[in-house]
This record gives sequence, structure tokens and C-alpha cells, in this order.
Amino acid sequence: MSSNKYFKHEGPWSDANDPLMVSDTGDWRTKRPIVDKDQCIFCGFCAIYCPIQVMEMVEKSHFKPDLDFCKGCGICAKECPKKAISMEPEGDFQK
Amino acid sequence: MAAKKGKLTKVLDHLKHEDPFSKGVAFCPGCGLELLLRFIPQVLGNDIVITGTPSCSAPVLLGQNNQSWHKLSYFGTLMTGAAANATGLARYYKKAGIDNTVVCFNGDGTAADIGFGNLSGAAERNEPFIYICYDNEGYMNTGIQKSGTTPYGATTTTTPKGSISKGKNLRRMNLALKMAMHKIPYAATATLSDLDDLAKKLLKAKEAKERGFVFLHVLAPCTTGWGHAPENTIEVCRRAVKTNYFPLWEAVNGKIKMTKEVKKPKPVKTYTELSKKFVNMTEEDHQILQDDVDYEFCILGGLSQLEGECQLPVSAED
Repeated sequence: MSSNKYFKHEGPWSDANDPLMVSDTGDWRTKRPIVDKDQCIFCGFCAIYCPIQVMEMVEKSHFKPDLDFCKGCGICAKECPKKAISMEPEGDFQK
Repeated sequence: MAAKKGKLTKVLDHLKHEDPFSKGVAFCPGCGLELLLRFIPQVLGNDIVITGTPSCSAPVLLGQNNQSWHKLSYFGTLMTGAAANATGLARYYKKAGIDNTVVCFNGDGTAADIGFGNLSGAAERNEPFIYICYDNEGYMNTGIQKSGTTPYGATTTTTPKGSISKGKNLRRMNLALKMAMHKIPYAATATLSDLDDLAKKLLKAKEAKERGFVFLHVLAPCTTGWGHAPENTIEVCRRAVKTNYFPLWEAVNGKIKMTKEVKKPKPVKTYTELSKKFVNMTEEDHQILQDDVDYEFCILGGLSQLEGECQLPVSAED
């Protein structure tokens, strides 16, 4: 390890041995993606095009977004070939 | 009744490694750069070293205070010396016998304008690393100024639309073709709408890196700077390919080959209508942009049809 006794790390830069930094990006969302399980054909396009990579496989039958981190950009809804994902206003869920 | 389950897309087969980034990362919603940045280590593996410059990628790659957003190794450098720093790293790993992939990950400001001298020099010396330019057609992090790859007619903060200025009045440069003319082992263009193609090119790049310098030019739209809706990021890329605005090709050992043939190219207007940065363009402006796109594609088409004698000698670097 570092011989520097003043800093915990080798230098004033980040150390990935610590827990990673996480922003509450789910809080940015204005629209929430809702997956229609029946219409989903399990093609995976939402998962690969999602910039945050939050679409999780559920039992090899459909995909589900991780709403803690989904920024609500709507790429999954736009790229879904079956239009199985709809974007609902986030305010509807806050009541 | 549930719909018939189809086949999973082939792109998921390329994602063999885990995503090293933390889930909540400070990029805009719908950012093309974020998708690219998460995609690269999932394809190439997490044992890569990324070097980069002050740009949109830097706040995330460099981390903040003493905390990090990802588990990769990152070396932050200046824009004027990006490729030179990557050269040092790559030479060290080669000399020490460590099997490692150095990825120099820069925006178009570094690659096309400020750090181009370095880039050109590293390509000429055939240094063994991968240079990836994510092209968002401007200096987006500092407030959307124009760069060398900003297309004709685009509105930026330094080429605004007003009574005198009518958007950028200069044509863009074709960076990827310029780099292919450095006679490097591998140069390619890719975009985010065709991730299968991008993954294949990344794997080819990792292979070609053993023989020398590799350049990848990836179109990554910026929702904030271009003014398109966040959900249209992939659609913008798709239309850029379909209008031949950003043709997908690769040059292996100097031999240029189109990787995606567009049978009936659409007019460039179908691409520009999605983004707000082109909203002030008149018919004449569109004609100039269309002529520019046609000219670039004409050269590329001619180069890709050359046969036989235009192959680089394989042992060029020896």
C-alpha cells in the first residue's frame, strides 16, 4: 500500500475497494415505465438499449425495471417492438 | 394469454462480463454516452485501463472526492496529451509483459480538435492501444460549443442562430476516414442503434490491438446539447445510419468495407427533424448538408469498392 501517512489512499483519487458511490437517480424520474407482462415477447431490446442497464430478467418470461435507479428516459418504451412498455406520469404513483 | 416468447437478442450474448459501474450514475436521462460507457467493459472485460480527459465522461470515470462510481482503472489526463498518456501506459504494459487493454476514451473535442496532434502521432507510431472517440458533435460538457465534427447548420452556443449567424457555416470533418488513412491495423465507425455491430467491432479492436493502433468512432447523441427527446436517442442513431449521415464501416489493415449497407438512403431531413439543433435550418442549408453527406459517402463507397492491390502489407509495423 501507499507510504503516504496523511491520506488513506494512494493519492487524492477514488478507491474502488470502498463501496461505490450511488446517486438517487430514481428521484429524477418524471415518467415511470410499466411493463405489460402479457405482451412482452422477451426479446431483450429494452435491456440492451437501456442506458442505465436497469432492466432485469424475471424468470425468463419478461423484463422489469429497477425503479430505484430508472431515470425515466423512455428509451425502453420507444424501442420495444411490441409496445409492451408504457410511460405513466410519476405523479400518479405518489398519492 | 401471454404473448409467444421470442428469441432473446444476440447482443446479450456479447455481454459476458459484469457491469462495473454503480447503478445511479450522474449522466442525463437518455444519455448516449452512458450506454456506450457501460457497454464497453461488459464486452471487453473489466480488466481494462481507461484513460480519458476532462469531458462528460470524466466526472463519472474519475470519481468524486475519495469515492468512485465504478470498479475500473482510470487515468485522467489533459486534453492536449490524451493519446500520449495512453502511449506511456500501453508501452509500460507491453514491456512489463502484462496482458492488459488500454482504452483511451475521449470525446470529439479531444479527438478531432485539441488532442488531434497526439492522436495522429500515436497512430503513426502504431502504439498498441484502443482509441475510442464518442462523437457528440460538440463540447457538450462545457456548454455546447461547436467542434470540428459539428455538422453544417447545427446551432451551438458559439454558432447561434441570429440575425447574422445562421448556425455553423462550416462543414464537419470526417475523423474516422482521416484515421483510417494513417494505415493503422483497425479503424471503424459504430453507433448505438446497432449494438451487435458495435460489440463485434470492440472484440475485433481488442484482437487488432496486438498489431498496433486501433481507432473506433462512435456516434453518441447528447439529449441536452442536440435537443432531442430523451427517448429518441437510439432513433437518432438509427436515422443517422439510414440517411448515410453516419455510415457504418470498418478498415481492417487498410481495406475499407461497409458493415451495414443501406439500400435506399433517406434524405438527411429525416435525421435532422428529430433534433432541435437543426430546427433553424432552411431548405438551402439542408441541401448543403445533404451534398456534404453525399460527398463523404461517395468517397467512402469508392474506397470500399477497391479490390486486391489496396491491401496494406501485414508486417507493416515490423
